[in-house]
Amino acid sequence: MKEKDNRPVYLNPLATDLPIIGVSSILHRISGFSLFSIFLVSVWMLDRSLSSEQEFITLVKDLNNLFVLKLIFYLFLVGLLYHSLLGIKKLMSDAFGIGEELKSGTLISWSFNLIFLFIAVFLFSKLFI
Amino acid sequence: MNTTIPLEEVKNVTLSIYRFDPGKDKKAYMQDIEIEVPANMDLMVLDALLLAKKKETSLSFRRSCGEGVCGSDGMNINGKNGLACVTPLSEAVKRNKLVLKPMPGLPVIRDLIVDMKQFFDQLEKVKPYLITKDEAPEQERKQSPEEREELDGLYECILCGCCSTACPSFWWNPDKFLGPAALLQSWRFIADSRDQATEERLDDLDDAFSLYRCHGIMNCVSVCPKGLNPTEAISNIRKKLINRKS
Repeated sequence: MKEKDNRPVYLNPLATDLPIIGVSSILHRISGFSLFSIFLVSVWMLDRSLSSEQEFITLVKDLNNLFVLKLIFYLFLVGLLYHSLLGIKKLMSDAFGIGEELKSGTLISWSFNLIFLFIAVFLFSKLFI
Repeated sequence: MNTTIPLEEVKNVTLSIYRFDPGKDKKAYMQDIEIEVPANMDLMVLDALLLAKKKETSLSFRRSCGEGVCGSDGMNINGKNGLACVTPLSEAVKRNKLVLKPMPGLPVIRDLIVDMKQFFDQLEKVKPYLITKDEAPEQERKQSPEEREELDGLYECILCGCCSTACPSFWWNPDKFLGPAALLQSWRFIADSRDQATEERLDDLDDAFSLYRCHGIMNCVSVCPKGLNPTEAISNIRKKLINRKS
C-alpha cells in the first residue's frame, strides 16, 4: 500500500505574482462560470414568463422596477462582453500566434481589459444613471 | 582580512522564510530573520540567504554554482519563482522585507528544499534525448546552421523547475499535465532535424491532459530565469498535432 505523504506543500495562488495575461485568463474563466450561472436564472425567467399571462406581466414589471434584476442583467452583459473579448484574444493566439511573447501578450491583455472597462462603464451609465 | 561592514554603510532587511523541519515540526511556519546588507552594493537573494544562515544555522536551501547555470536554488521570491543566485535584492525586496518560500505545488523536504520527483517524472515522459532509427554514422549526425538555429531558445533550459511550479495547470494536475519545462524539452526534440521519433512523440502528447491543459497564461515565461518561452513551444506542438490531423 502506498504510504501517505505527510510533507507540507506550499501553494497560495492568491500570493502568486501573476502577469496580466494570467489574471485575464482567470477572469475569463470566472466570467464564463458567471455567464453559465446567470444563464440558469434566464431559463428560470423564461419558464416563468411562459407559464401564464399574469406571470409574464409581473416579470416585465419586476425587470423595470427591481434593482436586483437590473443588476443581474448588467452582470450578464459585462460577463458576456469580457468572455467574448478575452475569447477573441485567445483565438488570436491559437490561430495566428499573436501575443505568444510575454511583451506582446501583456500589451494585448492590457488593451482588451481597457476596452472592456470603457464599455462596462458606458453600459453602467446607460442603465443606472 | 577584516570583512566587517562599517555600521553606517549597512541597511537592515527582514527575511521572512518558510521553515519546516520534518524531524521537529508538524506544520510549516514563517520565521523572520533580520540581516544587515551593505547599503552601497546590490547583493543577490542567495547572498542574503547565506547571511541569514550565519544567524540561523539550521536554515536549509539548495545551491551550487551561484550564477544561474545549475538551477539548484529555484524558490518563490516575494510571490514570484526565480533563482536566488541571479535575483538582485534591489529588485526583490519590498519595504525592507523579502518573503522566501519553496517552489509552489511540490512536497517540501525541508525549509526551501522541495522534492522534485514529480517534475522529473514528467520530464522523463517526453524522452528528452535524441531518438534515431538509422544506423549511427561514422562520425556525427550533421545539421545545417539553419536546422541548428531551430533549437535556439530550447536547449538553454537548465531544468530549475521555476516554470512548471509557477503553472496553475501543473498545480492541479502534476501527474497528468506535463508542465512547461517538460513540454519545452519535448518541442526541443521534435524540432531537432536529427530526431526520428516525431510521430511517436506526438502520439504520446495527443490526449486531454499532457499538453492541452496549458491555457496560455504565460506565468512560465514570466518567471523563466533564462528568458525562454515554453508557451510558444507548447503552441508549436499544438499546431503540429492539429496539422497532422488535418
